[in-house]
Amino acid sequence: MAIDATDIALSLLKIAIVLGVMLQVTPIMAWVERRGSALIQDRPGPNRVGPFGLIQSFADALKFIFKEDIIPAGAHKWLYTLAPAMGLIPALTTIAVVPWGRPFRIPETIEYNGLVATVGWATAGFLLLLAFVVGAATGRLSHKPGVSRLNIVIGWLVTGSLAGLAFAIGGILIYLRSRYIVEVPAAGGRLFEPIVADVDIGILLIFALASLGVYGIVSAGWASNNKYSLFGGIRASAQMISYELSLTLAAISALLVAGSLRLSDVVWGQTGYFVLFDTIKLPAWNIVSPAMWISFIVFSVSAFAETNRLPFDFAEAEAELVAGYHTEYSSMKFALFFMAEYMSMFTMSCVVTTLFLGGWDVPYYNEPPTFIGFFFSALAFLAKAGFLMFVFVWVRWTIPRLKYDILMRVGWKVFLPLALVNIVLVALFIAKGWI
Amino acid sequence: MIEFAVFFFFAAVAVIFALVVVLHRNPVVGALSLVASFFALAVMYVLLDAPFLAALQVIVYAGAIMVLFLFVIMLLNLQYQREEPTRPIQQFLGYFGSAAFGVSLVYYISKYAVIASGPKTRFVTSAKTIGIRLFEAYILPFEMVSILLLAAIVGALVLTSKAAGKQVTE
Repeated sequence: MAIDATDIALSLLKIAIVLGVMLQVTPIMAWVERRGSALIQDRPGPNRVGPFGLIQSFADALKFIFKEDIIPAGAHKWLYTLAPAMGLIPALTTIAVVPWGRPFRIPETIEYNGLVATVGWATAGFLLLLAFVVGAATGRLSHKPGVSRLNIVIGWLVTGSLAGLAFAIGGILIYLRSRYIVEVPAAGGRLFEPIVADVDIGILLIFALASLGVYGIVSAGWASNNKYSLFGGIRASAQMISYELSLTLAAISALLVAGSLRLSDVVWGQTGYFVLFDTIKLPAWNIVSPAMWISFIVFSVSAFAETNRLPFDFAEAEAELVAGYHTEYSSMKFALFFMAEYMSMFTMSCVVTTLFLGGWDVPYYNEPPTFIGFFFSALAFLAKAGFLMFVFVWVRWTIPRLKYDILMRVGWKVFLPLALVNIVLVALFIAKGWI
Repeated sequence: MIEFAVFFFFAAVAVIFALVVVLHRNPVVGALSLVASFFALAVMYVLLDAPFLAALQVIVYAGAIMVLFLFVIMLLNLQYQREEPTRPIQQFLGYFGSAAFGVSLVYYISKYAVIASGPKTRFVTSAKTIGIRLFEAYILPFEMVSILLLAAIVGALVLTSKAAGKQVTE
C-alpha cells in the first residue's frame, strides 16, 4: 500500500492533535491539583487570579519564562541541561501508540446543514468575544506606566490571532453556505484511524519508553552536585525498575485476553458485551471480568510508582529530601520536569483505560464508523482518562508516603507474585472460555 | 531511499556514542552514551524487520541493564581513573596491531564473503510465533538460559551475604 501525500498530511494532523492535547494536560492538571488538594484539605485554593483561579496556570507559565535560569556551581553542565529533556521525551512519545477514538471513514462531502452552521457560528462568536476581552485588557494595560513592552506585544498578538481565527471560521462558513455541498479534498473516503502509530508491538513500546523514563531522574539527581538530589535520583531509579516488573506482568494479563500486542486490538476486543444468566448485558471491558481485578489493582499501583506520584514519590519526597531530584532546578528546566510528570500521569491513565476500562468504547452504544461515532468515542476516552487523572490527584492528597524499604519490599514480594498469580488465573479463565 | 538515510544516520549515532563511551573520562556520561548507542541499535533492528527484538533491546538493555550500571556508578561514586601515560613502544604496538587487524579483516572479508540472497524462510517477527517457537523448538536454550540467570542470582547473593566478611574461598 503506497503512502502518498494525503496519508502524510493525515498523520501530521493526528500528531498535531495528540501533541496539542498533551501540551494542555499540564496547565489543566496544575489547576486540578491545586483546587483538588484544596477541596480535600478543606481550604479554598487559588481563587484570585481568575474566576475560580482558572488563569493561575497561565500566570505560572509566565513565571517559568521570566525566572532566572541557574546552573549550580560544580554541576555537570551537559547532563544538568539535558536531564529535563531526557525526562520529557518518554513522557511525550509514549502516547503515540494509544488509540483514542473509533476509526471512522472520512466523508466525501460536507453538507452545510443546521448543525454545522450553529457550531461554526457559535465558535466564531466565542472567539471574537475572547479577542474583545483580551484586547480591552491589553488596551487598559498599555496606558499604565512602567508596564513592559513584551506584555503589551503578547497581548496584541493574542488578540490578533483570536480575531483572525474567528474571521477565518466565518469565512469558511460563508464559503460553505454559498456552495452548500463541499467535497473533502483528497482525504474523502479514507479510513481515519485515531492512533498515531498502530504498530504490531504497541504495548512493548510503552514498556520500553517507560523504562527510559528513569534516565531523566537519575541524571538530574547526579548532575546537580547535591546530596539530596542524588539520594532522590537513586531511590527513584531503584523504585522505578522494581515496579516496572509488576507493571509489565499485570499488563500481560490484559494482553492474554486480547491475544495481540496491538493496543487497537485490545480495545476492539472490549467492544462486545458479556451476557450473564441470559439477561444482564455488561460491556465487555476487561475490568468487568473478575480475573482482571487483581491485575487492574497491580497495574494502577505500579503506574503510581512509575510516575513517581504519592504514595511512591521518593524522587521528590517533599519535606524529606528538600525537593529530591529537582531541588537545583529552576525556571524552564523545572517546568519541563513538572510537565513530564503530568504528561506521564496522563499517558498512564490512557494506558489503564485502554487495557482495562475499554479504551474508547462507549458502553451500550454501538458507535457507527462516522465522525459522530468517532466524536463520542473520543469523548468517552477523555472522560475515562480524566477520571483516572482525578484519582491520581485524590490519592496523592489522601495517602501518606510509604517508608522506602517497605515500598521496595511490597514491590518485589507482594505485587510481583500477585501479578504472576493473575496471569495464571487469566490463562485459566481463557482456557475455560469464561472470558 | 528513506531507509538508506535512516540507516546511515542511526549507524553514525551508534558509532559516535560508542566512541564517546570509550574515550570520555566521565563514567556517567559514558553509561548514558551507551544507552543512546543501544537505542540506535534498536532502530537497526527495526530496519531489519524485527520490531519485537527492537522493543526488547530497549526494554532489557537500555531500560534495565544500563540503569543498573548507572546505579552502581553513582552509588560507588566511580570517578575517572587517571592511568599512567603509555610508553612509546606500547603506543606503536597498539596502533600497528589494530591497523593490521583492520586491514586484514577488510581484505579477507571482501575476498571470501558471499553475499547471501536472503533467508530461505520468512523471518519470524510476530510475538506469537516467537513465543510458540521458544516453547517448542528452542525449549532447551530457553531452559539453559534460565538456569544461567539462576546461577547469576545465587552468585550475587552469595557474594554479598554476611558471610562475605570472612574470606570466601570459592
